[in-house]
Amino acid sequence: MARTGFCDPKPLLDLHNKVSICSEGLNPALIWIFSQDNAKFTREVFSLSEGPTFHNKTSKRQVENNLLAYSHASLSSFPLCVADGCMEKPVLLHPPGLQGLHSLQVLMPSLLRHEVEMALEKLDLIWDRAYAWDMFLDMMRTQMQNSFPNTDLPQDFTDATRAVLVNWLIQVHVSAETLYLAIHLLNRSLCQIKVYTANLQLLGMVCLFLAAKKEECLLPEVSGLCYLMDHTYTKHQLLRMERKVLCGLKFDLSYCPPLHFLIVFASVARCSAKVVWMARYLLELSLLEGQCVVFQPVQLAGAALCLARQVLEELGGPEGEAAWCLASSLHVGSETVLLRIMHILANAAANAHTRETCATFIKFSSPETMHVSRHPGLKNASGLVGICT
Amino acid sequence: MAHGTSIQYERVAEIGGGAYGTVYKARDTESGRFVALKSVRVQTDQNGLPVSTVREVALLKRLEQFDHPNVVRLMDVCATQRSDQETKVTLVFEHVDQDLKTYLEKAPAPGLPPGHIRDLMRQLLCGLAFLHSNRVMHRDLKPENILVTSQGQVKLADFGLARIYSCHMALTPVVVTLWYRPPEVLLQSSYATPVDIWSTGCIFAEMFRRKPLFCGESEVDQLGKILEVIGLPPEEEWPTDVSLSRKNFPPLLPGPITDFVPEINEKGAQLLLKMLTFDPIKRISALNALEHPYFKDEEILTQTKS
Repeated sequence: MARTGFCDPKPLLDLHNKVSICSEGLNPALIWIFSQDNAKFTREVFSLSEGPTFHNKTSKRQVENNLLAYSHASLSSFPLCVADGCMEKPVLLHPPGLQGLHSLQVLMPSLLRHEVEMALEKLDLIWDRAYAWDMFLDMMRTQMQNSFPNTDLPQDFTDATRAVLVNWLIQVHVSAETLYLAIHLLNRSLCQIKVYTANLQLLGMVCLFLAAKKEECLLPEVSGLCYLMDHTYTKHQLLRMERKVLCGLKFDLSYCPPLHFLIVFASVARCSAKVVWMARYLLELSLLEGQCVVFQPVQLAGAALCLARQVLEELGGPEGEAAWCLASSLHVGSETVLLRIMHILANAAANAHTRETCATFIKFSSPETMHVSRHPGLKNASGLVGICT
Repeated sequence: MAHGTSIQYERVAEIGGGAYGTVYKARDTESGRFVALKSVRVQTDQNGLPVSTVREVALLKRLEQFDHPNVVRLMDVCATQRSDQETKVTLVFEHVDQDLKTYLEKAPAPGLPPGHIRDLMRQLLCGLAFLHSNRVMHRDLKPENILVTSQGQVKLADFGLARIYSCHMALTPVVVTLWYRPPEVLLQSSYATPVDIWSTGCIFAEMFRRKPLFCGESEVDQLGKILEVIGLPPEEEWPTDVSLSRKNFPPLLPGPITDFVPEINEKGAQLLLKMLTFDPIKRISALNALEHPYFKDEEILTQTKS
């Protein structure tokens, strides 16, 4: 009983084949899932591929001036960083815990603040630039509470089972935000409420359902969700689990997904669309890794982007380096943490195609995602991590 | 953790039938502290809890993380099924014994000293600015849901509840007071955070008067009473998409506000008028109100001390 649902390959394996199937109107729940997904994906990639245009708008001269101003402004705070336009260490800020937020505001050079505001605006994450900075601080504050003290899982529950469940959710897949929120809710639910192994798939689906209620405009029908689970559970069971999860989490559904940080950093660092897709791939792989739950979203995003740049060997010349310097001062956390995450992600990426849980690998091998998961550089990505950024 | 509210919270007394249903004072058997239990019954269809309820309660939980001193603590939330069509969502708030209504009633004869009113107003606006900057409007601000602790700390309660309840309001035949409603709500035009500023203005005046400023008996009557004080606004300020025409009201001119709130000082009167501005767009915001010279005037404090 426990394994019927998610070991059954029947619910969606090949993501992109299914897209064509559902456009023929096979299952309303699936149409909802995939149309949402595609719309969001296209929008994000589109706005990100505007990067170069945006870059051109600011003349070279201006960039140099800005960077000059930046280096003057930051000379006192970051002596390490400026001398040759790049820094020794990728991590400039090490605020100890939450108090860091105030110092973050003080330490942040105005250029960087401006860049963050522009990025948020460009990415459509805010509706008024006047609130951008407050919102970024709020994102930082929220995400600090989004990591877990340890990787402990409830009894009878292993990293491998967790990965199978997450892999299944990636296949059911809604928009990226909803997916990240769903996995976060799942991680929290596993700590907070007692669930029998037989009900794990139900728990995962309910987390996805709740994430959709929080994030999406169109809701999947409960009957559609039951279909996706091959009718292993009844509607009644699903709704009972919904109440159980909401009470267990005390209705707290706040979360700042690492994806948002990734997109902001990539925008500040002027990364190419390919780097962004690669980073998104690596970041999504982190969902499958139980050991990643202890890291803050901002750290995961920083590490994914850092590794993506190295794998693609796309460092963008002196200008790109300068922009990267700026962006990397946002990865709050120590270099050790960053390298640890990069190691995990590099290993995951090197083996992704051989694993049973390969939904993410398949998803990111499509032309829409620039075939990033099949990039040859990923095979020996772990070798790259040792090299200083 | 999983046990229901009925076990952890022991009902002690019924405290006021709030606009949205009965509110109970209860004892938290784990901590021994008193709490206020507010339950709402939401209709559940085949898709479980309504999206609006999930989002609104999640928003209240998010606000909770900021631990704002002028906002009542939300300690717990629980959902229990009552029938296939109905789920009860219970919100557990910290219990504060006294609201602003009783606080004003209990104040000895000449009323609250001006410095004290200013302090209460500052706290009230701080709480409101916090809610507004988080895109939450109260929508039903009145002395009954402004709590005042024994240390004189102001805490806003019942914010955001209006939205959770609104879909189900039609079912409960309750009279919601009109006295703190702004013109745009009375006219059923569109409205946003300025509604709370209007209510705050009414409450500001009430702190001096110790009785409500506008006690209308119907929507039209309420609007008439408002216009007697602030005057009939120019044609262009009257919302266009409303059924009640400006022509229904006599061409009144605004009288001096001190006729209605005699004890208020000059700067207080200025601020009050900015809050009781007919056009919601021109009405002062909570953040700007906190910057008003009324709060910078140190004379009041020294006067009250002497």
